[in-house]
Amino acid sequence: MKDATALLQAAESILAPWAKETMRPDAARLDVVIAPPDIVPAARALHAAGWGFLTAITGLDLGVETGKLEALYHFCEGPALVNLRVTLPRDTPVIDSVCSVIPAASFFERELSEMFGITVKGTPHPERLFLPEDWPDGVYPLRKDFNPDRLRTEG
Amino acid sequence: MEANKFIVPIGPQHPALKEPGHFEFTVDGEVVTDATIRLGYVHRGVERGTEDRTWVQNLYLIERICGICSHIHATAYALGVEKLAGVSAPPRAQAIRELFCELERIHSHLLWVGVAAHEAGFDALFMYSWRDRETVMDLLEGLSGNRVHYSCNVLGGVKFDIDDTQRDTILRGLEFLEQRTQHYLDVVTNDAAFLRRTRGVGVMTREQAIEYGTVGPVARASGVERDVRVDAPYLAYDQFPVKTITDTAGDLEARFAVRVRELFESYRVIREILDNLPRSELAAKMPRKIPPGEAISRVEAPRGELFYFIKSNGGEKPERVKVRTPSICNFGSVGRLTIGHQLADAPMILAGIDPCFSCNDRAVYITRNGDTQRWSWDDLCRYGVANAE
Repeated sequence: MKDATALLQAAESILAPWAKETMRPDAARLDVVIAPPDIVPAARALHAAGWGFLTAITGLDLGVETGKLEALYHFCEGPALVNLRVTLPRDTPVIDSVCSVIPAASFFERELSEMFGITVKGTPHPERLFLPEDWPDGVYPLRKDFNPDRLRTEG
Repeated sequence: MEANKFIVPIGPQHPALKEPGHFEFTVDGEVVTDATIRLGYVHRGVERGTEDRTWVQNLYLIERICGICSHIHATAYALGVEKLAGVSAPPRAQAIRELFCELERIHSHLLWVGVAAHEAGFDALFMYSWRDRETVMDLLEGLSGNRVHYSCNVLGGVKFDIDDTQRDTILRGLEFLEQRTQHYLDVVTNDAAFLRRTRGVGVMTREQAIEYGTVGPVARASGVERDVRVDAPYLAYDQFPVKTITDTAGDLEARFAVRVRELFESYRVIREILDNLPRSELAAKMPRKIPPGEAISRVEAPRGELFYFIKSNGGEKPERVKVRTPSICNFGSVGRLTIGHQLADAPMILAGIDPCFSCNDRAVYITRNGDTQRWSWDDLCRYGVANAE
């Protein structure tokens, strides 16, 4: 088994140029906060160094009152886990697609976009992946202010 | 549209796991030139649903995400919540969870052998493997009272212990299954008719497997040594380890061989666990409210890495539960792998990633210059089988 500490140290130095804040929530996990425009260069650096693979993208709504959404890009290598965290404004959330570096991110980005209303600029298939064709525009089911009653139709 | 270019929509209601998917294959003559995928036909809003339920209620909701690998979902969730609460399940509970995980892998892989054999036009193998699969279903029922949602987890541990009678029953079942699996390995690696559908079909190189983001047996059949049980051991996998099974060929035959060989590892590790089951309580006490924080848990489902991100705000309900299933990672590869292949190979390539065919008997439309022909999934499979003869 590979050593998580050494792997995380390597990742930390790869990501240093873009890191605004770095956290180690547990022994095998490194969280790096980066600015939204840095997501592509940071992902490219990990990819170029052969550090792990993008295992998932998680969207978070930090709440209406905060005016913020967050996206977490989870990379895994053996036992080690790196999360790139970007915070986006709730009213105009836009992030660049990482598909040019990691083509497999396509499904994750489409999900992020339809569930949280985050515009993923340059993602190759921006159309819906999970939500039905007749889902109303501008309604994002994983945002905290989503109200399912709005979707109820008469009868 | 060019004169001889057709779009063949397949689905929506067929080939995917708990997600029936809609595939559109663009074909030039017989050769697939493009493929797109649309999912979500059974999107039930489970992630959202977790935010309105208590930590305990969610265990039952989460287990119902999948009717094949129900236990691994509940386990990933329980591990995450336990991490947030700073509680770890007692050793005996961890070992019993691992045992359930491996029994689940056995029934899932045997289910897949049958489905894939059926797609290949090999119905005798399909019926034998599903008959044999009943053995492991009976074992699961004997342990938990249920065939599908065994519900063995509680937050903090497990509900069921394993007594000596159950132990002997499991060992007898494994002996039978091991013998049968030897036969399956022989069939999938030696039977000429079967190999015609699998050898050299849907080849994915190691580089492609990584680039497409594949996980589990699909990746391992292309030589990618990734298995969460080995890379980041959870439950009792450090005490009762498994070996990573890989192949280098990267074709459908390799995907068959890897899954069948993984069965032997499961049999072996289950015997190990039964011989050395730690003595301890079955569950640790969990707080009703979970302290604020985030936890990530990664586990190896039968189809590959299953990823959970759980966030607590300190209350009785989660703030967010994110689930990334292995199939979403493997779906992407189908689109790429079918390109350049005969349309007749599409069902086998789809089956190769082990999606669930619970609703596979659905309409397929073939569009030819605005002229639509209706095919069922069965028609397409028959076409595939006939083409191979």
